[in-house]
Amino acid sequence: MRVDLSVNLAPHHKLELRLRNPIMTASGTFSNGLEIAKHYDVERLGALVSKGTTLKARRGNGVPRTVETAAGMMNAIGFQNIGVSALVSQIAPVWEKWSVPVLVNIMGETLEEYGTLAARLDGVPGVAGLEVNVSCPNVEAGGIEFGQDPRAAASVVREVAANTSLPFLVKLTPNVNDIRPIARAVEEAGAQGITVMNTVPALAIDVRRRRPVLANVFGGLSGPAIKPIALRQVYLASSVVEFPVVASGGAMTGTDVVEFVMAGASAVQIGTASFLDPSAAWRILDELEAWCLAEGLNGLDEIRGVARRRD
Amino acid sequence: MKSYTIEVTESQRLYGNTHLLWLVEPEAFFSVTAGQFVMAYCGEGWDPLLGRAISIHRRRVTADGRREFALLFDLVGRGTDWLARRREGDAVRIVGPLGRGFEVRERVQKMLLVGGGIGSAPLIWLADDLVREGREVTLVLGGRGTPQIFPAHLLPPEVELVVATEDGSLGETGRITGPFQRLLSWCDQAFACGPDAMFEALYRVVADSGLRKPVQGLLEARMACGLGICYSCAVFPKRGGVRLVCHDGPMFDLRDLYG
Repeated sequence: MRVDLSVNLAPHHKLELRLRNPIMTASGTFSNGLEIAKHYDVERLGALVSKGTTLKARRGNGVPRTVETAAGMMNAIGFQNIGVSALVSQIAPVWEKWSVPVLVNIMGETLEEYGTLAARLDGVPGVAGLEVNVSCPNVEAGGIEFGQDPRAAASVVREVAANTSLPFLVKLTPNVNDIRPIARAVEEAGAQGITVMNTVPALAIDVRRRRPVLANVFGGLSGPAIKPIALRQVYLASSVVEFPVVASGGAMTGTDVVEFVMAGASAVQIGTASFLDPSAAWRILDELEAWCLAEGLNGLDEIRGVARRRD
Repeated sequence: MKSYTIEVTESQRLYGNTHLLWLVEPEAFFSVTAGQFVMAYCGEGWDPLLGRAISIHRRRVTADGRREFALLFDLVGRGTDWLARRREGDAVRIVGPLGRGFEVRERVQKMLLVGGGIGSAPLIWLADDLVREGREVTLVLGGRGTPQIFPAHLLPPEVELVVATEDGSLGETGRITGPFQRLLSWCDQAFACGPDAMFEALYRVVADSGLRKPVQGLLEARMACGLGICYSCAVFPKRGGVRLVCHDGPMFDLRDLYG
């Protein structure tokens, strides 16, 4: 017997976003899927999320770009990517042959760029939806990130919505006082869901060189070290919105996925775990299925958000 | 490329601060080439979290027909310390084989191999292969001093060995660029592995010589995944653009990086 783990991340959108299971890959931890697809069956996964894609190709930051930390790692890759045009012409045709939905993670430097990116990807075969990265400084508003201000985040959502017929998620940053008003603003502005959360801003210092380790000075912390932070943010965000919340932050096992679902998540992205083991997403899916069977569950709806109940 | 949990068959401090680990070879490794590497995972939990990128040092078939491969690495931190504490019968998880290895030209005879420090590790296997194919091999090894130099008695006897140490404790005094410059015109093809600064120095020797000798360098870089998905191990060719050491390399023609 198998458990029905399917989930719809855009139930109110005309295109919907149906996943055969809630296990997704996280942006920036799976490239564009082509490398891993040579060795593993990506069709078994719920959905893939592309490398963060910008309007123009970017070389990214200098090295070191990553550093290992206690039960985690930091990265500051600097959005090395081939740019949206090359993605559309070279990568999307490969995705088109896959039945697994692929979301393109987009990041603009201005409001207008978000709109242009959304328009470029609209109707592209192989692209099932978007994930909008709002962790970019809004230069026009003094450098505060779009995702740190409910109004700025909502303006990005409206700009993307006006330029695409695709369902889209907004990936929120944990680097805010309270994630709830941002989650609400993004829902009201018309996104289909949110991904909670991006990496946690952090710093590592090399005592021998007496300098920060990373060329970019600061980096984003990921891995099992941040899972408790992500759980809290998922719990908080999903308590104030009706639309799907996709969890991202340090999931390493099937039990971690169950925890995120109990906090309110509809799907869970596997990120840093793939660096340790390219088959991590598949292993985690197997573990999730086994857990559900052992618990006699018919679907994840039975446990979604249960940890938030006050009985 | 897959994840394998494999058995350690031999573990010893081979010289200086450098450790040798022999492991049972997964079947998928049979077609691996010199210069390819594995990610080796250290510890039992999530800490240390990431694998250590280590090139394959040597391969052998035991008397009872078992295929094994070796990793040779310096002890530089808690990950490699953990690896070095593995003993015969212990299990180690690896992901591999990874990357693009050396590409040896056919019908050429004189091979020059240049290793700086632990960069000698993948060259030993290359030397084993080249000698077996009946080619002439000169191996130049360099390091700060004797503790950094791979022991001569462990090389195939056919290999001509040249050693240069910065402190003069073994072989010539100085860096490997000296012997490299001298031997460049002799060789048909050259292979190098070591720190970035060494590659740049080697490239300068080649460029200044006016000889159009092909030199393949095996780069070392900080990696999180080794698979081409994390984008940590960027290298920026002088002509522009960006490449990933794990996926586009680790073998690069030095002209493509510094030319």
